[in-house]
Amino acid sequence: MLFNFREKLNSSKFLVTAEVSPPKGTRFSVPLEDARQLKGIVDAINVTDNQCSIMHMSSLAFSKFLLDEGHEPIMQLTCRDRNRIGLQSDLLGAYALGIRNICVMTGDFPSCGDHPGSKPVYDLDSVHLLQLVRKLDSGINFAGDRLDGGTSFCAGAVSGIDPDKPLQLIKLEKKVRSGADFIQTQAVYDVGMFEEFMEAISYLEVPVIAGLIPLKSLGMAEFMNRNISGVNVPEEIMFRIKDSPDPVEEGLLIASETIKELMKLSRGVHIMPVGSHNNTSRLLSMAGLSGK
Amino acid sequence: MIITSAKPLEEILALLKDEDDIFIIGCNVCAAKLKTGGEPEILEMIRQLEKNGKHVVGWALPTAACSVRSFDSLVQKNEKIKEARCILVMGCGSGVSTVSSVTEVPVLGSNDTLSLGGSSEGKLLSGQCIMCGKCTIGEFGGICPKSRCPKGLLNGPCGGAVDGMCEVNRENDCVWTLIYNRLKKINRLDLLYTIHAPQEHIID
Repeated sequence: MLFNFREKLNSSKFLVTAEVSPPKGTRFSVPLEDARQLKGIVDAINVTDNQCSIMHMSSLAFSKFLLDEGHEPIMQLTCRDRNRIGLQSDLLGAYALGIRNICVMTGDFPSCGDHPGSKPVYDLDSVHLLQLVRKLDSGINFAGDRLDGGTSFCAGAVSGIDPDKPLQLIKLEKKVRSGADFIQTQAVYDVGMFEEFMEAISYLEVPVIAGLIPLKSLGMAEFMNRNISGVNVPEEIMFRIKDSPDPVEEGLLIASETIKELMKLSRGVHIMPVGSHNNTSRLLSMAGLSGK
Repeated sequence: MIITSAKPLEEILALLKDEDDIFIIGCNVCAAKLKTGGEPEILEMIRQLEKNGKHVVGWALPTAACSVRSFDSLVQKNEKIKEARCILVMGCGSGVSTVSSVTEVPVLGSNDTLSLGGSSEGKLLSGQCIMCGKCTIGEFGGICPKSRCPKGLLNGPCGGAVDGMCEVNRENDCVWTLIYNRLKKINRLDLLYTIHAPQEHIID
């Protein structure tokens, strides 16, 4: 019997994770309702950390709300807003509150968000942050001092999926060498490209959970191609969205077909809808993944 | 070279609102080169200040505003400084600080101090170094990611670059692409696999 996300990672189960954003304010009923739609159909829920540098409630606090509702959170943690002291204190607090999974990333620059003049920190990078987590796990802090109770995190990181970007692949290798337990990727639209990516990193032996953002419109696809690093929506998919009388439905169909392909290539899928998860349950049953 | 840019005249006039009998000190190194504190700029500043009703008692152009020995050494350059009730330094922040350390009167700066850079082939190269103390530039092919990556990342690029251009300013190359190309050229791509420890921010 499989219990938690870490155990599932070590099994052969095809994993489904999804992403929920904390509220921009103190009322949390709407994002909590979003998460409720995922109950029983996903293995863990990522909680974003001030995504796109836009200020939200802390991922730590919202992860705790999810935990209390019986979900398994993956707390995202960026290097943008905290130095090594802040990162450690949040990680210790998260662990003490019962949060067991984290996913680290560099974090978008503040100029992308709603407080463009704020001071970016980046005291550590995502590679360092994974090393820091592994130190806390061994019962010592980043300065080498013994802790009064350590952690035991399941820690992941993120990656782009373009096999032609050697720097991204080298950085991914560094993340794995620094102790990443899993990798969640940028959105996949071009399965051929993802297959090449998986071949290029096959020597790393790390579970890779492929990202998925169901398309909703042609404009969204064009935006992703133009502005999101490493995202490549192939022409064929663009045509399908363009020609469809119901682009949202077509986007779900494309996503479900992509999931079926990814089941042969990755350890799971990570669903990042723009907005809420009202279609995620249907998407998963279209892909044959309902009822786990 | 310290990269400075001249503040707009209105801003300088606002700084000098309650000041008069101004002595101007330029800087014959970086600021002169950047045309923010050499002789022509000093003379133009005098003209503008006087046009706006200010009295300039005199000026001096030391070799470097950041290397001033004493108030007496300033007097040797121009005795008029003794009449000054305010000093305007046309140099970088370091020049302003140095001058203020040897005088009692208010010392103000006419420039914004932007970064440590250089110039080559007539082009200004800003933000080449952040003077972090521990120099590891050789491990990156002579291109410093601490200064030239807005996130100061040491172990490779963030995921934000699009088509090799920086997430923060789409008109700038991602410095990691420059580092990659440079290391490839000198046949040292192996350096990219080093895991670099975080920067230690220790002030001695």
